[in-house]
Amino acid sequence: MEGFEGASSSSESVLDLSRLNLNNNSLDSLSEKRRKDTKQLYLCYNRMTVLPESISLFSNLEFLDISNNALSVISEDITRLTKLKTLIAKNNRLNDSSLPKDFGSLQLEVLNLSGNRFEEMPSQCLQLLRLQSLSLGGNRLKSIPAEIESLASLELLYLGGNQISSIPAELANLPSLCYLVLCDNRIQSVPPQLNKLHSLRSLSLHNNLLTYLPREILSLVHLQELSLRGNPLVVRFIKDMTYDPPSLLELAGRTVKSKNLAYSHKDLPSHLVNYLDMASKCPNPKCAGVYFDSCVRHIKFVDFCGKYRLPLMHYLCSPECTSPCSSNPQSDADSDEDNSVPADRLQRVLLG
Amino acid sequence: MEHTELVKPESLEDLIQTLHKIFESDRVNVEDVQSIMESYESKPHEWMKYAKFDQYRYTRNLVNEGNGKFNLMILCWGEGHGSSIHDHTDSHCFLKLLQGQLKETLFDWPDRRLQGGMTQKSQRVLLENQCAYINDSIGLHRVENVSHTETAVSLHLYSPPFQTCRTFDQRTGHHNTVRMTFWSQFGERTPYESTVSQENN
Repeated sequence: MEGFEGASSSSESVLDLSRLNLNNNSLDSLSEKRRKDTKQLYLCYNRMTVLPESISLFSNLEFLDISNNALSVISEDITRLTKLKTLIAKNNRLNDSSLPKDFGSLQLEVLNLSGNRFEEMPSQCLQLLRLQSLSLGGNRLKSIPAEIESLASLELLYLGGNQISSIPAELANLPSLCYLVLCDNRIQSVPPQLNKLHSLRSLSLHNNLLTYLPREILSLVHLQELSLRGNPLVVRFIKDMTYDPPSLLELAGRTVKSKNLAYSHKDLPSHLVNYLDMASKCPNPKCAGVYFDSCVRHIKFVDFCGKYRLPLMHYLCSPECTSPCSSNPQSDADSDEDNSVPADRLQRVLLG
Repeated sequence: MEHTELVKPESLEDLIQTLHKIFESDRVNVEDVQSIMESYESKPHEWMKYAKFDQYRYTRNLVNEGNGKFNLMILCWGEGHGSSIHDHTDSHCFLKLLQGQLKETLFDWPDRRLQGGMTQKSQRVLLENQCAYINDSIGLHRVENVSHTETAVSLHLYSPPFQTCRTFDQRTGHHNTVRMTFWSQFGERTPYESTVSQENN
């Protein structure tokens, strides 16, 4: 490929070298001027197994698409691209050891690694503090690291099509997150802390293993899209038949807390002080009680976010206790006409 | 009934002209329309100006109003985007893949006597340039882009045009009537007041 300059679009700074059967050496024949002028480089649908060293000579590069090659490694050379904001590397052969050590030093805002072989979210990704959009769809991720919360600028997180079985509560510490995709995974429950995602506009949970959602989800007032198909959501709540009566320890603990008895390390062994500190307040405002390990799962069917009768769950301290919004404890378990969500929580149905 | 001479359309504009001719008559020959749509070979530069994507959900982009006889529109599906289970308000619906792939799952109309959800009848993956057809007597369907790496673009023809349809909750068979809107018309973005999606499923 002597003197090959590639097709350039009307904008001189875009260089489209996709679908050209390029191999690892093909970038070498470009002129220095061409390299310095290029801000967007498309190298998708070629036959590269390694990103060529000469990539580092594209010193003004802002956008790089290397999707649909056979890349198993991204070399250190990429870290010299100090202006790179967008990297798309879908459908390659990248895995946990493919990214260079200092990959986290890039100023990336958009990173798409979908369709690769990652089993863990690479730690280098968690160092990209300017990241706004992260896609790792269609990989082999088994979990989401708690350190995800360090991506303070993240607005879009696409993790569909992995093997994720749980969501860490730390995911809720992303204040700008608008679009969260967790479809096609193995998720059994959604942590109630997700209600802290005040910017969340769209939540994709279809094709997982959810039987209910936490009642706290009702406070996601900006939520407009919610997908839940392909989950074994309960249609009828069978009252929890196996309510284990509280232990003596729990009963003592409940009394200490509800009577506001003072306690400290001077009076009690530390394991008991820790136990008492872990009391959860019963959500029923008429009940000043707490619970430790012994509680009842309570499900109500609520219309939410344009969806009909979602099973929403919260814990109560005992079967006799009532949920915050209803007055009749007996009717809670089979609430058919129940629509106890306050009007300002019900979203208006869209024209669209 | 007159059989319009079916010549393979050379371009999208050509396809639109042929469809106008076909729909001049009052009766629709479903096979003819399906065949002519399928034979148009998708050329992205011809439809790119209509293909406007939304980050959060699939979009409907009006291309042509078919002299009131049909609506022709382009739908853009991001990774993982899918529709609800829906009917077609007594109209014909033709669906052609312009780019990528879409999974179509067919359902029977829910039977109120049978408690519980709707079970799927069949499903298939529609490939680029394939054209599918459905109407209410065939059943209901859900259309999804199940890819986590590729977007999809499809060309839809509805005759007669309709503005509302019913969406169905697979879990319960419960249905809602929803109004359909356009993300863009004739290549121009036409924003709508934005609130909760009517197609959450």
